Amino acid sequence: MTKHGLVIDQERCIGCQACAVSCKQENNVPMGQFWNRVLTEGGEKMDTPSGGYPEDGGSGSLDMQYQPTACQHCENAPCVKVCPVNATYTRDDGIVEIDYDKCIGCRYCMAACPYNARVFNWDEPEHMPEEGTGDVEARPQGVVEKCTFCSHRVDEGLDPACVVNCPADARIFGDLDDESSTVSKYIDKYETDQLLEDRGTDPNTYYISGEMSPGRPQTSDKMESELDDVSPWSDGDDDVPSKEADSAGGESSGSSHSVEGGEIPYATPAKSGGDD
Amino acid sequence: MAANTGSSRVAIPSFGGKGKLWIGLLVALMAAGIAAWGYQLTTGLIATGMRNVFSWGLYIMMFVLFVGLSAGGLIISSAPKFFHSHRYEGFARLGVLVSLACIIVAGLLILPDIGRPGRIYQFFTSPDFRSPMVWDFGIVLLYGLLNLWYLWLLTRRDLAARGSSLALGFEDTEAGRERDRTLMFWTAAVALPTAVALHSVTGWIFATQVGRGDWFSPLVAPVFIAKALVSGLGLLLIVSVLADRYTNFEVDREELTSLGKILGIFLAFHVVYLLAAERLPHSWADHFEFWAIMSNFLIGDSVYFWLWTVVGGAVPLAMLALPPLRKRVSVIFTASVLAVVGTMFEGIRLVFTGYEVANIDSAPGISLGGEYTGITTDIWATAGAYTPTLVEIAVTLGIIAFGAFIVTLGLKYVPIQRVDAEPSYATDGGKQDQ
Repeated sequence: MTKHGLVIDQERCIGCQACAVSCKQENNVPMGQFWNRVLTEGGEKMDTPSGGYPEDGGSGSLDMQYQPTACQHCENAPCVKVCPVNATYTRDDGIVEIDYDKCIGCRYCMAACPYNARVFNWDEPEHMPEEGTGDVEARPQGVVEKCTFCSHRVDEGLDPACVVNCPADARIFGDLDDESSTVSKYIDKYETDQLLEDRGTDPNTYYISGEMSPGRPQTSDKMESELDDVSPWSDGDDDVPSKEADSAGGESSGSSHSVEGGEIPYATPAKSGGDD
Repeated sequence: MAANTGSSRVAIPSFGGKGKLWIGLLVALMAAGIAAWGYQLTTGLIATGMRNVFSWGLYIMMFVLFVGLSAGGLIISSAPKFFHSHRYEGFARLGVLVSLACIIVAGLLILPDIGRPGRIYQFFTSPDFRSPMVWDFGIVLLYGLLNLWYLWLLTRRDLAARGSSLALGFEDTEAGRERDRTLMFWTAAVALPTAVALHSVTGWIFATQVGRGDWFSPLVAPVFIAKALVSGLGLLLIVSVLADRYTNFEVDREELTSLGKILGIFLAFHVVYLLAAERLPHSWADHFEFWAIMSNFLIGDSVYFWLWTVVGGAVPLAMLALPPLRKRVSVIFTASVLAVVGTMFEGIRLVFTGYEVANIDSAPGISLGGEYTGITTDIWATAGAYTPTLVEIAVTLGIIAFGAFIVTLGLKYVPIQRVDAEPSYATDGGKQDQ
């Protein structure tokens, strides 16, 4: 069985909103609505830290972290259980999706979702440009919509748009049932949390904090499972990190963030061989 | 064959000037409600005060209230029947009529809340039986039909005796009345657990939700039962006092006082006991010093809380408890009004506690999904806020007016009062073959 999951490395996230914007673009999300949001854990406003500056007698306790938040694709999804008409359902591959033809717009799922991941089309959805964007059909007025893990892309062997477009490689998508997938290995190796774990919804979205992971280990927009066993870095020419950079990393006896060789696929191309 | 052991009468033989004015008012409210709903259908739910964070509003709050209100009548008329008692017989028919009207109002209040009412048939073609809303849909439907059947059963022999076509061909015979009494017992036996199920399931719509603050509490269902007893009985008393005053319906003063006392007991159980039971464990766990525990336990934090506990709880309870006051009709009436208003604010408070605070409230927050007005930053919110719009209020009032219209028609066409020849304290299991 496949169980799609997402790992978000909060240490890598730079808060650039590229995932939020590419989600909106790819999924044709109406104006005034967001399926994917990058929240700031810290101060009162976006991109502001909590705490005080170190200067002029301040406490020097400035702290800020980004919290990218969309549908968590819960295993025990309350939204699926409350939907009276089976419009919200869990696919065999773990993705929680909505059948917009069935949705009656009762919004019970919005009450059920602890993450406020769902939005409702209160009026006739507006798109800019008018014909819409991306590869997903617009949803009508009066239905609830939300992140689908870009199921239309996943079905074609592509990673979700937010994953591919993350310039910090902070988002890693993969099969949680496959022990050799990067997501499974990261969850195993790094300190990960699920959002609102105490509610028992068991999300398939995990957040890394504490130690930074090497991030998404491939440059293709394909899913890891769709790639050949060889690293894309080893057969491409232009994208290969320079040998100098790699050997420099090797000589400094490995940074604290490096992963043991072979544990993370694709991360360390065998040919460039710096770490051994 | 006319085996009349007594006679029956309708409360409104014909509408006078005041009656016509009343009907006119109701029709005007209903027309305004339909117009407002039509407007809301064309613009979408953007016409309401609801948005993405606060996604249920007045319609659901009033749905909760009217489900509760529908309890009183049916329970007051079926509980004595179940125990073969003639107590509160004078309220039986009016009670079921009021219950029926309230459950119709509750059911109708869901329609304008639905984003695509045209798809509501999906409840039948694609139901998910895990959803408490499917359970509630079923039980509301069942409860409505049960009320309709019960009202007709209670009155069909009298309707036949009066030659009304509403008797649907049934005749007024002694054997028929005898058989109906047995049927009434069994209907009562079904009605009581159905009423309990209705209020519990409506409570579970909220109580099953892990994501909405105080909703996730096993106490919600019992509280809904208590709430239904308080507000349902309160409304029945209000309607009977009004009917006594403005129609030919006559209230037995002794029974009215007795029901007032029962309302006091329900209020004490609900507002004093259940509320305390709900609040104490949390205050105890969250605070350390004795007085900190006590003050957190006793002092609420929202206006709705105080409106509910003091105006809707303590005041009517005191009115119904003080011997010099509690026998006066005006006192019973006022206490009942306060009890219903208090219950309304309890429902409003319940919805607010669920939506006011977002579990994840970091900036910028949640997109509201309101009308897009250009390049602004006001599409975000980190907490829920809600004020109903005029459209919502008009639709709600229209539906409530429809409920009042049903009660009025019932008073006009259904023999709501039985004037029995035999003494009303006959308690021998309803056997009256002398």
